[in-house]
Amino acid sequence: MIKFIFTGLLRDKSRSLLPILVIMIGVFLTVGMTGYIRGFIEDFVDQNARLQTGHVNVVTKAYAQNESLMPIDLALLGIDTLMKKLETDFPGYTWSPRINFGGMLDVPDESGESKKQGPVMGMAVDLLSGKTDEINRLNLHTALAEGHIPEASGEVIIGEELARKLDLHPGDKVTFIGSTMEGSLTFRNFTVSGTIRYGVRQMDNVIMLLDLKDAQALLDMENGATQILGYSKQGVYFDEEAARTRDAFNKKYAGSGDQFIPVMRSLSDEPTLGYYLTYINSFSGLMIFILIVIMSIVLWNAGLLGGLRRYNEFGIRLAMGEEKGHVYKMLLYEALFTGIIGSVFGTLLGVALTLFLQYKGIDISGMVQGGAMIMPNIIRAKFSPDLLSVGFIPGVAAMVIGTMLSGIAIFKRETAKLIKELEI
Amino acid sequence: MNEKIIIIENLVKRYPMGETEFTALKNINLTFDKGEFAGFVGPSGSGKTTILNILGSLDTPTEGKVVVEGEDVSNLSEKASALLRKEHIGFIFQSFNLLPVYTVFENVELSLLLLKKSAAEREKAVTAALEWVGLQDMARKKPPQLSGGESQRVAIARAIVKRPNIVLADEPTANLDAENAHIIMQTMQKLNEELKTTFIFATHDEKVMQYLKRKIHLQDGRVSKDETMETKTLQL
Repeated sequence: MIKFIFTGLLRDKSRSLLPILVIMIGVFLTVGMTGYIRGFIEDFVDQNARLQTGHVNVVTKAYAQNESLMPIDLALLGIDTLMKKLETDFPGYTWSPRINFGGMLDVPDESGESKKQGPVMGMAVDLLSGKTDEINRLNLHTALAEGHIPEASGEVIIGEELARKLDLHPGDKVTFIGSTMEGSLTFRNFTVSGTIRYGVRQMDNVIMLLDLKDAQALLDMENGATQILGYSKQGVYFDEEAARTRDAFNKKYAGSGDQFIPVMRSLSDEPTLGYYLTYINSFSGLMIFILIVIMSIVLWNAGLLGGLRRYNEFGIRLAMGEEKGHVYKMLLYEALFTGIIGSVFGTLLGVALTLFLQYKGIDISGMVQGGAMIMPNIIRAKFSPDLLSVGFIPGVAAMVIGTMLSGIAIFKRETAKLIKELEI
Repeated sequence: MNEKIIIIENLVKRYPMGETEFTALKNINLTFDKGEFAGFVGPSGSGKTTILNILGSLDTPTEGKVVVEGEDVSNLSEKASALLRKEHIGFIFQSFNLLPVYTVFENVELSLLLLKKSAAEREKAVTAALEWVGLQDMARKKPPQLSGGESQRVAIARAIVKRPNIVLADEPTANLDAENAHIIMQTMQKLNEELKTTFIFATHDEKVMQYLKRKIHLQDGRVSKDETMETKTLQL
């Protein structure tokens, strides 16, 4: 009987082709979008973690409250001791101190007079000790556009866009003008060793990267840092794990009224970033849910129309002695079959799209221009094995649910009434 | 003594019609012997199709008792009704009702699939049924490729392939021209004689009536006349 039903299904294209196409398109969109959103989230999180937040980070309580002002006077001090404690208490993380600070970059002409000036955002990391992995973490080799990574004290590397605006090239001298941790004016000459391009406009326009020790000397911050970033040794951000680490750390210092106590925050605690992560996750879940609902409604209607077309067939089968339950069961088998076929093709197409977008990416630089958030200019999709099921199961479910809804009228009718309606 | 294959006692069928009820069948009492070639005749609305549906266990009586093949159809469960139809009753409808995506062979085969017959049994029975109706060469064709007469002969083959004891035919010639109507009736007459299948018709077509051995006249849901005809066998 099943062979008989499937023979009819294969021969009657209007019965099989439309549902398969609907499922295929729905599953394709679900898989493709999920892959793309996932890639976006991972890129977004990874880039923010590498450049700005770490998977977790430690700052003073006061700094956390005024972070947008980059208040170096509220920085952590005595970081050697704090680093040792962090390494002992949380061995699952590697810890890197950084200093973020603002100032002005002055470009002198041949006679030493100001030729050009521009605001910079200084980022000091451990570039020269050879003990940390900051160079790789910041992808400096990949991001290097010109020149070389600082190899000695007194060298800085600057954003490519900033270099273009200030007409700077490797080997040029610049003067940083800013204020120390105590509020005094500070000047120091640096040599531009090279330029970097992250493809993130917010970075490429203003960034000046230098060694941590140089920054500590420049800003009178001996043994200090604005923050200590922690990176999971697994290399991937896990929100729950980060939250556990944060809570364990903060529990130690809870209750102290001191504004300079260290506090730990996870990546998703960053107000804007956390909001976006929640938003994107909810949005992607909502999109998948809406797709399933739409597919079910379309298939319900397709099932109703198909059912109307096949009323005659159902009537004949009932008159021949097939039970209503059996007719309904066969309908569900058909739905399962078409659902699986549509879902397989939809998944294959969705995975192909994901792999294509993983390789190619979509350039969104125009959309993020001038934004305050660190976002990659090119968003790439991300393939993961669960993409094989993320659309497949909803696809089959939507087909079966759509058929169940449309076929329920047959199942619930009395045979006599049904036969009358079937007009055989 | 002839075997009583259908017994109808005090059959009443009412349908709700708005706030009132419409009585389609009024106090019908009849019996049918095995091998009869009988028909309900009468104008539209006289209750012919209603009684045929009750005999086919597609509908149930409001009052009275209808026993088909020893089963009281008024008390049958959904499952038992389906079983009765599957094993003992064949249907022929006025609009053929063949399934267009299946071949002639597959259309005829369907009722045997429901009976879970083996492939070899199905092949043998379908071939024989198509030979009875003279369509053995059409087995691989599909219904849209057939004429009206050929389609109704396929429907007959489908009804008799499982060798039911009863075939119920509702206006089987309504969509056929005179020549095909006679061919169809002669085919059924031949099957009645060779297989001893009981045929019960619902018709108001004179061409059908002239073949019937028993005519039960229905008028406004009542049996107005029950007449046995002289045997009339027409050669194909």
